[in-house]
Amino acid sequence: MSGISYSEILKLVAPEMLVSLAALAVLAIDLLVMREAPQRYRFWTGAAFAGLGCGLAIAWLLAMNPPPHSMSAGLSLLQGTYADDVLVRLVKVALLVMTLFTLAISMESNFTDHIGEYLALILLATVGMMFLVSSENLLMVFISLELTSLSLYILTAFNKRNVESAEAALKYFLFGGMSAAFTLFGLSLVYGLAGSIQFSEIYSKLHAAKIDTLLLAAIVMTVIGFGFKIAAVPFHLWAPDAYQGAPTPSAAFIASGSKVASFFIFAKLMMQAFAGAEGNGAWRHFTPGWLPVVATVAACSMLLGNLAAIVQGNVKRLLAYSAIAHAGYALLGLLSNSQQGMSSLIYYIVTYGLTVLGAFGVVAIVEERTGDASISSFAGLGRRQPLLGLCMMVFMLSLAGIPPLAGFFGKFYLFTAAIGAGKDMGMLWLVIFAIAMSAVSLYYYLQVLKQIYVVPAVEDSRPIVVPVSSRIILSLLALVVVVLGCAPELLLGRLITAIKLASHQ
Amino acid sequence: MVPLYYYLIFSALLFSVGLAGALTRRNAILVLIGIELMLNAANLNFIAFWRYSPDPEALTGMMFVIFSIAVAAAEAAVGLALIIAIYRHYRTVDLTKVDSLKG
Repeated sequence: MSGISYSEILKLVAPEMLVSLAALAVLAIDLLVMREAPQRYRFWTGAAFAGLGCGLAIAWLLAMNPPPHSMSAGLSLLQGTYADDVLVRLVKVALLVMTLFTLAISMESNFTDHIGEYLALILLATVGMMFLVSSENLLMVFISLELTSLSLYILTAFNKRNVESAEAALKYFLFGGMSAAFTLFGLSLVYGLAGSIQFSEIYSKLHAAKIDTLLLAAIVMTVIGFGFKIAAVPFHLWAPDAYQGAPTPSAAFIASGSKVASFFIFAKLMMQAFAGAEGNGAWRHFTPGWLPVVATVAACSMLLGNLAAIVQGNVKRLLAYSAIAHAGYALLGLLSNSQQGMSSLIYYIVTYGLTVLGAFGVVAIVEERTGDASISSFAGLGRRQPLLGLCMMVFMLSLAGIPPLAGFFGKFYLFTAAIGAGKDMGMLWLVIFAIAMSAVSLYYYLQVLKQIYVVPAVEDSRPIVVPVSSRIILSLLALVVVVLGCAPELLLGRLITAIKLASHQ
Repeated sequence: MVPLYYYLIFSALLFSVGLAGALTRRNAILVLIGIELMLNAANLNFIAFWRYSPDPEALTGMMFVIFSIAVAAAEAAVGLALIIAIYRHYRTVDLTKVDSLKG
């Protein structure tokens, strides 16, 4: 590419490099130096180095000036292989923060002896997500998707003593592999139709084209691939099993970081590359394109996710079905197909990621102390460990969308964006459906809270001892959820400015 | 020269064969083979589109295929490792017997 030197490229990808180096360092230190040390000590050292890498990357992203070539607009290198603008940086910071919290949640767990490998894989998955977020090129999208997915499959299987972990990973892998094949086939058709793999060129080729069968097949197959990543119905079958079987910190990471990255790139691909092939998703005015496809997927996800969550007896499984439902809500942001929709989507999915990380953090502790994550093992938690109970209440109510928590504002903004989109409030049918479904969801979140606060502990009512570090982390997450709910402009203001800047390119 | 759509029909057939294999087979390794077939069908598409594109000098499709072959190899490695993990617990790779997670 003209006018940019290798040192400048290195400077741009410095955050990714820092995280990759941290991954290698953690692996080396654990294998060379810490092999004989006690498990706890190894985990602390490894996580400290991993955290240091992520912290440096965050500092770099925040401190370095936005792209050197122009002050406002972003920069796209090597045919969109690496794009960089304020919005991308913001999402990367969110991803790194989620990785930090995942590392913190894993620190107290003892499901594996292979600590170096475990932490290194978390970091490599993060690198994959970071590259995914900054790609504007189909090849890069595919490679970074696979880097993320392959790391996550192994993270799911990491509890080698547990049958469920291996089974969950195999199911996750087989569904994932199949959806990767669908994505690749879809991308190959896009390449054939547009003659290019760069988002902007695809747009300039396709926006005027008539929507024929081949283009529709390409779009549907791409949606299948991403629908799998975000666990939307009917590509959700892996999610409950993977969440339940995976070690809890891995499940938390799958539910938070990977969701954020996939949603962001899904929205970017659809809004940038396939702009002009939207069709119409308004009630009784369906015309072919990606809007009606995504609208159907969203409606199915909300329906099935919420209804299936009601009957679950395992909290991890319940969170999986609620994740499916939340994917449905978040797709509303994509359906509004506007800048407001994009900002509401990112706000929603980032706050959802933080909330679900906290919920999984509580589940991890309860699971470790009581032996399983069934809903009845939460009985009496409010008395046995008041702080944990309080945190779980914040997370559950935020997921249900109760004001003044982040989940409420996220949903509110998302629904407003969706209603305002399109002609004659075409998306109103889906918004009404989403509101009805989110009322349903309150039932199963309250079911968990009922166990915590109303039902007394059956056999063991002694207080649960929780390490100070976990208490700090969970309180911090709960605090973030409350603060982002009370003062959403902290995040939203930045998002809106960033999206405005990015769209001036 | 063979027209482009011959290749596309062939790759679509290959994709369908792979999908059918992946969906109907009970042996995890055969499912994996089905997935590889689907990936290769997509690769064939890329090569065909690249060969018939107005400027084959750009090598875009070719590059995509080389990367995707490498990715498929990595995927097979991870997949086989997971299948071994399953075999250690269940002493079988029959997917219908691997069903402890339900609900």
